Amino acid sequence: MARNSHEKRAERQWLLILLPSLVLLLAFVIYPALYSIYLSFTNEALTGAAALRPRFVGLRNYTRLLNDAKFWNALFVTFVFVICSAVIGQFVLGLISAMALRRPIRFRRLFSSIILLPNAAPEVVAGFMWISMLAGGDNATLSRIVSFFGVAPADWLQVFPLSMIIVVNTWRGIATAMILLTAGLSTIPGEIYEAARMDGATPSQMFRRITLPLMMPTILLYMLISAVSTIAVFGLVYALTRGGPGGATEVVSIYIYNQSFTAFQLGYGAAVAVVALVISLILGIAYVRAMKVEV
Amino acid sequence: MAVISPSETANKGRSDLIAYATLSLISIFCAVPFFWVLLASLDGNAQLFLHWPEQWTFANYIKVFTKEDGAKWLFNSLFVVGGATLLVMVLAGLGGYALSRTRAWWKLPFLYAILLIRVLPPTALVVPLYKFLLTLNNAEAAVLRPIFGSYARDIMRWTGFIDGYLGLILVLATMQLPLALWIMKTFFDGLPRDYEEAALMDGATLIQRIRRVLIPLALPGLAAAGLFAFMSAWGDFLLPLIFLSSPELQTLPLGLFRAFLRINEIDYGLLTALAFIYLLPAVVAFGFARRFLVQTFSGGVKG
Repeated sequence: MARNSHEKRAERQWLLILLPSLVLLLAFVIYPALYSIYLSFTNEALTGAAALRPRFVGLRNYTRLLNDAKFWNALFVTFVFVICSAVIGQFVLGLISAMALRRPIRFRRLFSSIILLPNAAPEVVAGFMWISMLAGGDNATLSRIVSFFGVAPADWLQVFPLSMIIVVNTWRGIATAMILLTAGLSTIPGEIYEAARMDGATPSQMFRRITLPLMMPTILLYMLISAVSTIAVFGLVYALTRGGPGGATEVVSIYIYNQSFTAFQLGYGAAVAVVALVISLILGIAYVRAMKVEV
Repeated sequence: MAVISPSETANKGRSDLIAYATLSLISIFCAVPFFWVLLASLDGNAQLFLHWPEQWTFANYIKVFTKEDGAKWLFNSLFVVGGATLLVMVLAGLGGYALSRTRAWWKLPFLYAILLIRVLPPTALVVPLYKFLLTLNNAEAAVLRPIFGSYARDIMRWTGFIDGYLGLILVLATMQLPLALWIMKTFFDGLPRDYEEAALMDGATLIQRIRRVLIPLALPGLAAAGLFAFMSAWGDFLLPLIFLSSPELQTLPLGLFRAFLRINEIDYGLLTALAFIYLLPAVVAFGFARRFLVQTFSGGVKG
């Protein structure tokens, strides 16, 4: 009996010291998320008549969304951005780096430090660095590099905007992929490779038959983490292009920002936000299941 | 069979060469953009393009603090991000301890919830968050104004929810909390319970247990949680962009962004010096955080 009441008191204490965190998360994350669902059913605006007396408009924001070419463009741009930079670019370069760094070569720590560097740069700084790299004119860095191979200089962010933000985001995320995949690679026992080598397997066979299958859980987890974090990218694209030119790099997070703070249509912006929240949550649930949380 | 055949040695040499070559290429790709910031910030004639400075100078750095409000931006960034980091360390230290030790029904739902909160894109939350903070702010102003009169504005600069230090600190801290709670929960899971049970036997209260046993033991975990909170809050651009408007409250990312918006008269030397000042603490923190990266990025991956 004494033990029971003691345990009850302990449980109350746990709740008590968790309470401040709980309150902050409820107030500044959960409540805003629910509130944006509510806003998406109103014609709330920052200016004009609707700002004074917002009305309930039912599903009108959502029907407008379905017929809004700019919304579909934003979804498409986000999709291409996530697939090309997170699923392909960061993953491939991260895997190559992780595998190369597993070899007993020199300067490993130096190489991995340099590869980690872009991840440390704040979004705005990263954006400006690449504005310099990709600027128009013969003197900009990328133009000078490609002219070496006989390619004409260009104003890269104007001519290939989406490809360029994909390159920049790939640059920024190689480190995350490399670290996660290094952790995954280190769980594969070396004896398996030894045995395969004895049987005369070639390196490419070992990669396809051993490395890839055994890495699958790690790769899946990485894909989900990097997909959700890439959907959330805002500052990097905003500093580089602010969604332009002509919506070519208007990913969903930029579109929400422009609708809400440039067009001042909070209700409509909230409907777009709800779509982004739902997509992220679906990926998030897959991620939580893949993680197999241990208690 | 420890004998390595000549063909195998050659093979190994070739593979190593490929490893060096690919790593060098990737490293150049990663490093080149940083050279522009570093070189242009020390260049008396800095331009948008990467080139070797002809006259080396510290004038750009001096200008950041004399011609521009660099000192104020730096102070604001350090104050806001430092405040948020401290808050996160305290809350996540306590909360992570509770999450690790409790056996209540809400443990698993709470853990799932903080993982899911991490995937929500902040841009999708800022509009309702802005409206909510505006309501809180107006309520606070309505209370303060009759009491403090004309001083209320100055007080609100510190304690306001919109365009005030407090609001930005709370919001920045909240965004870092889920990861920090997760780090601390995992950390306490790995800490043996013997010490606490011994303290409990001696009749120590919760506060005593936290002060004498937990804080000393939890320092490595708190360091990791604090570093990640600092790095992520330091690099954040969206939240200050939306929640700050007074010039007195501008932080480094905003000062940098606005310096870049003066299209016709961009001073690239000044801009890159400012960027370097903003970049440096992030890189230093990242260097310290390096040994925690694996556990944090891989979260619950076994192995």
